Amino acid sequence: MPNLELPLVVLAILAGTLAVTSAGRGAWVAIALLAVTSSALEFSLADPSHIGLILRVSAIGIGLIITVPEGLFEPGALRHDLALRTLIATLRAHPVVVASAAAGLLLGLVPLALPIESSSGALRAAGVALLVVGLPPLLTSRFIEATTRAAVVTLSGTLLLRTSIFGALDPLAALAIGAGFACILLVGGSVASRIANAEEEQ
Amino acid sequence: MTVEGVLTAIRALFPILLALSSLALLPLIRLWRGRQHDDGAAYATYGVQILLLATSVGAGLAGAGYLSTLKISQITIDPSEPGRLLVLLGGIVFAVIVGAGEGRRAATMGQIALFGIAAIDLALAIPSGIAPIALLLFASLGISGAAASGKDDVGRARAVFRDLRTVSLLLPAVVIAEILRTAISYAAIDASYATPASLAAGTALGVSLVVIVAAGVFPFHHRLIKIFEALPIVGSLLVGVWIPSALALIVMSELSALASSITDPLGGAIVPGILLAGAATLIFGAVSALLHDDIGEIVGFMAVGNAGWLALAAAAALQSPTDTSSRLIVLPGILIISLFGLWLVSVRRRYRTTSISELGGWARHTGAHGIVLMAAIIALAALPPGAVLAARLNLLLLGGNPLIAIFAIVGQIMLIVAAIRLLLVGFTPQSQAVREVETRPLANLITISLIGGALFVAAAAAGWLAVESGGTGPLPPAPSVSPATSFAPGPSGEPSATPSIEPSPSAMNSPEVSPEVSPSGSVEISPAP
Repeated sequence: MPNLELPLVVLAILAGTLAVTSAGRGAWVAIALLAVTSSALEFSLADPSHIGLILRVSAIGIGLIITVPEGLFEPGALRHDLALRTLIATLRAHPVVVASAAAGLLLGLVPLALPIESSSGALRAAGVALLVVGLPPLLTSRFIEATTRAAVVTLSGTLLLRTSIFGALDPLAALAIGAGFACILLVGGSVASRIANAEEEQ
Repeated sequence: MTVEGVLTAIRALFPILLALSSLALLPLIRLWRGRQHDDGAAYATYGVQILLLATSVGAGLAGAGYLSTLKISQITIDPSEPGRLLVLLGGIVFAVIVGAGEGRRAATMGQIALFGIAAIDLALAIPSGIAPIALLLFASLGISGAAASGKDDVGRARAVFRDLRTVSLLLPAVVIAEILRTAISYAAIDASYATPASLAAGTALGVSLVVIVAAGVFPFHHRLIKIFEALPIVGSLLVGVWIPSALALIVMSELSALASSITDPLGGAIVPGILLAGAATLIFGAVSALLHDDIGEIVGFMAVGNAGWLALAAAAALQSPTDTSSRLIVLPGILIISLFGLWLVSVRRRYRTTSISELGGWARHTGAHGIVLMAAIIALAALPPGAVLAARLNLLLLGGNPLIAIFAIVGQIMLIVAAIRLLLVGFTPQSQAVREVETRPLANLITISLIGGALFVAAAAAGWLAVESGGTGPLPPAPSVSPATSFAPGPSGEPSATPSIEPSPSAMNSPEVSPEVSPSGSVEISPAP
């Protein structure tokens, strides 16, 4: 498993970056990928019973299943939106976010002040990178669904940073945080649909 | 599981069990009465009121002793006295509010109240690490989402959206505070790092921010006002007052423990900053309450004033960790704003308006409403002088700044004046909106419960009943630094005498990023123009 750490970190950062830069199918798939990779990084070795991992992935999974817009899994459109060329074009359209992710990764790799010095470098790097990528849109975005995804990215980063220092969450905290992820996705989706309905009525 | 184990689980989880039972009970009542008698909504309201009162009685009987402490594997749920006290009073308060609110959605609001007080009880039963704070923050978000559902109101949706952003920002602040707190012990033995006092100041700032933002302390009051404007009163009270106050209890315990753990004075200007914010919030809330003419907004600004007291209490917990005054004022504050909420919902329901200009003579028309407001004013003034007034004065003394104390006293007096102004409007000649409403007989279940509930809550809030909240115990220290979770074995968790590198700026001081990331080709919904 140790050799999976680096690919998972890279995948998590890439998914987080795509979640805040793309829209529609690409963003939702990126959020799902981020949920799986960040949960695997957070829980896999520390928790032999995998309760935390199962709770987190199932909570985000339930939230996503209820929230994702209709027609997300239309094969043709999905293939187009997830094509490598489309993803690269999305990332190229947001150079500042990509640069932020890279800067966050490097910043996280450098051991900072104690107690961070004795923490896991890869987890810390992923955590800092996701925080740096997620916080700006969370603070400033006017789009509800984009803000919801930015919230998921920021929280994932926060929890990875915490895990790098303190270890995995205990089952009760994992349950609370998992419920929180689901709550963010559900409330974000419900607010978006309510405003859309109100605007349609107007 | 043994019979004793089952009984312990019931005692420990009683509020949450009753909240969950409402999910099955209320649809059954609606089905039973809806088909034949068409009064399903009214019976569902009675059902949820009974559940709220049962929660209250059950929490009182179960208490917070060792018989209610549930242990499942590594998980311990140990109900606290403040948690049980909040459930006991919350059940009564919300049963009366739901009764006064009446209407089609009253039962749903009662259900939301059941889950809200259950979340508070559970959070105060697990005072360890970030779990209770996360639980309360996410419960707040869930409750505001649920309270705003039911109609496509853009204002409500925007208020919930604001809450989503706030909650998502507060959790990173708590985690950063947790990291800084762990660093204090290292800084104490290694002079090349930040001093314990400055790290403690950072930790205090992080955890205080949770209360300051969640409770609506100036300059974060806007969220609270929007909540009171947009959400139904049960949701407003839970999200704007009850949950922030429960958070304040946890945070104050944490601040007390933090202040006790360092010998030097706290670094930075944290304490003066929080004191100033508290006094400014009280003055701001009071002046705004006097200047506004909408009773919903006025009650919102009263809640802002109460948030000022929470900030002053947080500062006092840092100044004098052993003094309990800071935790004594939390419960009266919750009950006072709940009384104003009860008055607001009953007046709004009766006269279908919230404008003062259209409510002339309301107290002469319905004396019961006048009694509720008078009870709220007496509780706000903490009369006759007793434990609550003494705790407030002690807080101001602990602050140690006469100017702040004068500002706070002036703010509190102005809040009382704003409430008296509402009462005086009730004795002016009756407006047309008031005259057109039928008079309800005094021997009416809603009126009796309104008066009885208001007097009980006012007595508890003013300190006539011996109700006090001792606050939760301090949060246990964060887990020791351990690289065990990493994939590759890391270095030892023990701090080195000579750090390998110079301390560098925090990870949060990262390079600038674009202030706004707009998703390409976005077809998403913007919340506000």
